[in-house]
Amino acid sequence: MRQTAGLISTYSSDEFGICSALYELGGMVVMHDASGCNSTYTTHDEPRWYDMDSMIYISAISEMEAIMGDDEKLIRDLTETALEMKPKFVAVVGAPIPYMIGTDLSAIAAVTEQATGIPCMGFAANGMNYYTKGVSMALEAIVRRFCTGPALRTENLSVNILGATPLDFSLNGSVDSIKDWIRENHMELNACLSMGCTLEDIAGAGNAHVNLVVSYGGLAAARYLKEQYGIPYVAGVPFGERFPVMLAGMLKEAAASGQDLVSYQAVGKNQTPPVPDAPYIGSDSDEGQKNIRYDGEYSGQERRNCQLTGKAQEQKNDSQNKRNVHPQRDKVRISIIGESVFSASLAAAIELDRGISARVLCPLDTEDQLLRECDLRTPEEDDLMEHLLETEIAVGDPMYRVLCRDGQRFYSLPHEAFSGRIYDPVNPNLINRKLEVLSC
Amino acid sequence: MKKIAVYGKGGIGKSTIVSNLSAALAKRGLRVMQIGCDPKADSTLSLRHGEPLPTVLETVRQKKDAFALEEITCLGYGGVICAEAGGPVPGLGCAGRGIITALEKLETRGAYEIFRPDVVFYDVLGDVVCGGFSMPMRRGYAEEVLIVTSGENMSIYAAANIAMAIENFKGRGYAKLGGLILNRRNVKDEETKVRTLCGDLHTSIIGMIDRSDLVTEAETMKKTVVEAFPDSEMAAAFGELADTVVFRQRTADKA
Ligand SMILES: Nc1ncnc2c1ncn2[C@@H]1O[C@H](COP(=O)(O)OP(=O)(O)OP(=O)(O)O)[C@@H](O)[C@H]1O
Ligand SMILES: [Mg+2]
Repeated sequence: MRQTAGLISTYSSDEFGICSALYELGGMVVMHDASGCNSTYTTHDEPRWYDMDSMIYISAISEMEAIMGDDEKLIRDLTETALEMKPKFVAVVGAPIPYMIGTDLSAIAAVTEQATGIPCMGFAANGMNYYTKGVSMALEAIVRRFCTGPALRTENLSVNILGATPLDFSLNGSVDSIKDWIRENHMELNACLSMGCTLEDIAGAGNAHVNLVVSYGGLAAARYLKEQYGIPYVAGVPFGERFPVMLAGMLKEAAASGQDLVSYQAVGKNQTPPVPDAPYIGSDSDEGQKNIRYDGEYSGQERRNCQLTGKAQEQKNDSQNKRNVHPQRDKVRISIIGESVFSASLAAAIELDRGISARVLCPLDTEDQLLRECDLRTPEEDDLMEHLLETEIAVGDPMYRVLCRDGQRFYSLPHEAFSGRIYDPVNPNLINRKLEVLSC
Repeated sequence: MKKIAVYGKGGIGKSTIVSNLSAALAKRGLRVMQIGCDPKADSTLSLRHGEPLPTVLETVRQKKDAFALEEITCLGYGGVICAEAGGPVPGLGCAGRGIITALEKLETRGAYEIFRPDVVFYDVLGDVVCGGFSMPMRRGYAEEVLIVTSGENMSIYAAANIAMAIENFKGRGYAKLGGLILNRRNVKDEETKVRTLCGDLHTSIIGMIDRSDLVTEAETMKKTVVEAFPDSEMAAAFGELADTVVFRQRTADKA
């Protein structure tokens, strides 16, 4: 049956993506919806809810307010509450009812801003899109709004992380590990959008040399930062042992060249087995984009520009020596179900570390350039099931297990945006470490 | 780019007037885009000589996002870019929500950047009965609303309602009321009644169109008056109104 999820769960919606992306920033987030089941955002999909305060509200729109289009009540409530709570900003988030009656949340935000003097933003979420779209909207809006000053570049190469939320990365230490990995590679962490980060950090996001986009949700913000400050981005998550070394090199390369890179496109694309010194060459599948190229070496000019340290260079050479496997893409053995940047990075890591070809089945919002040629977009349960038959091994949220055929090997990788906090304690951190922690 | 939304009671002559304005401006060398914001999808009919044009919403329903801008637009008389929002079948769904989605789709498809029109007209159905029908006057769409009215009471009530919606939205950065267009039905004291309305709404009549059989004649030819009878007095009247709509200074409004 098309457009039906008969066996599996569904992903968190766009409202939840917005709430999650803005959770730690000191703003007041108001979902304009009927009171009731949207509290599942806080009780099911927000692991920080019990340990960290955040001003998340429901407007509790009533039937008559919806029928009569009573925006004034919402504006009054927003104004009153904002003046009392003094948040750093107000976000009014749409839902199915305001969507259907065409409530203009941006205009309501503008009126509230005039009344309170507090920055207000309206988000046209409708509860029918995935959380990925919500994260994307929220992060883009927040950088557009607060990241406007001149850039003050530091001497050391500094990196923003874009697109980190517990919906994709849980609270299992993954995001901290990405931050540690950045520092280990002699780069500075600038802002992380948006875990462990303040609004002030975000206001300074323009100071970074390069952006690390760790999920589709970070891409729109990355594009704005490129347009506004000329900061290039690299998409990828440093999973496993070898891929992080390569990704670190790419961050430096992008910082030097100003060119955007989708890191995992460079893995296993070319059928020539890599030997030390041989270039990785990948081409971006998005039409009109420049080819990306990762040759693991820099010209003298570039090396000076990005101030590669001896240590990082050493590490990289070391990794190239280790890269003695090359997956043959025509024998794809693993399917990874999940968010595009996350899953494609994991696939690349598995290919590099284990020499086994893996492809992504992506049910969520993404762009072609964030997937490799072998990856597939699979919004429908039926398609997913069919494609899962094609590989021996499946990796994904435990709730996907029901789609596997009998006897198929399944590695579970709990995904907060899909199964909430059910599997929290067994959610493994795979950042910058040996990939043996996948639990069967 | 000047974006103008035209409102008014059902059947008052919005589509007739807007299409003639588009044709007159196209003749003056301007690039005009006319977007019908009405489930009937008949706004641009006389510009495209009755040629069919798939509506935005029908296309979205069938193809989701896999369609090109060319599939939902066509070039009519004088190169006027025509688009029709369309909507649900009568009695079902939500026409207002449909207008919002249709206008958003046109925008995200880059209609304004790709065609770079000098003038955009939104021809909006009847009264502002729900949130969706205020979309064309929202921030980012029309800067100015023109209301078509005759001296008939129903038409005057409708005009007053539309003006009230605009007034309610002040503070939101929506379109301003640019004035009334009197489309004569030759009722008693017609001009006086509409002038009184202008006083109440603090606005002015920016143009008057006579009732004329040429309109009906052109309509049977599936053409605008401007195209079918270019040398007629009616065509000249539409030309004059077009100049006022596009080239007049806002300060001169209150004349
Ligand atoms: N000045 C005029 N002289 C003669 N007939 C006119 C004039 N203006 C409009 N009409 C006729 O009135 C009818 C309704 O006009 P039109 O379709 O333009 O109205 P509308 O406001 O767009 O209607 P709707 O609200 O249904 O979209 C048409 O048959 C048209 O020919
Ligand atoms: Mg009409």
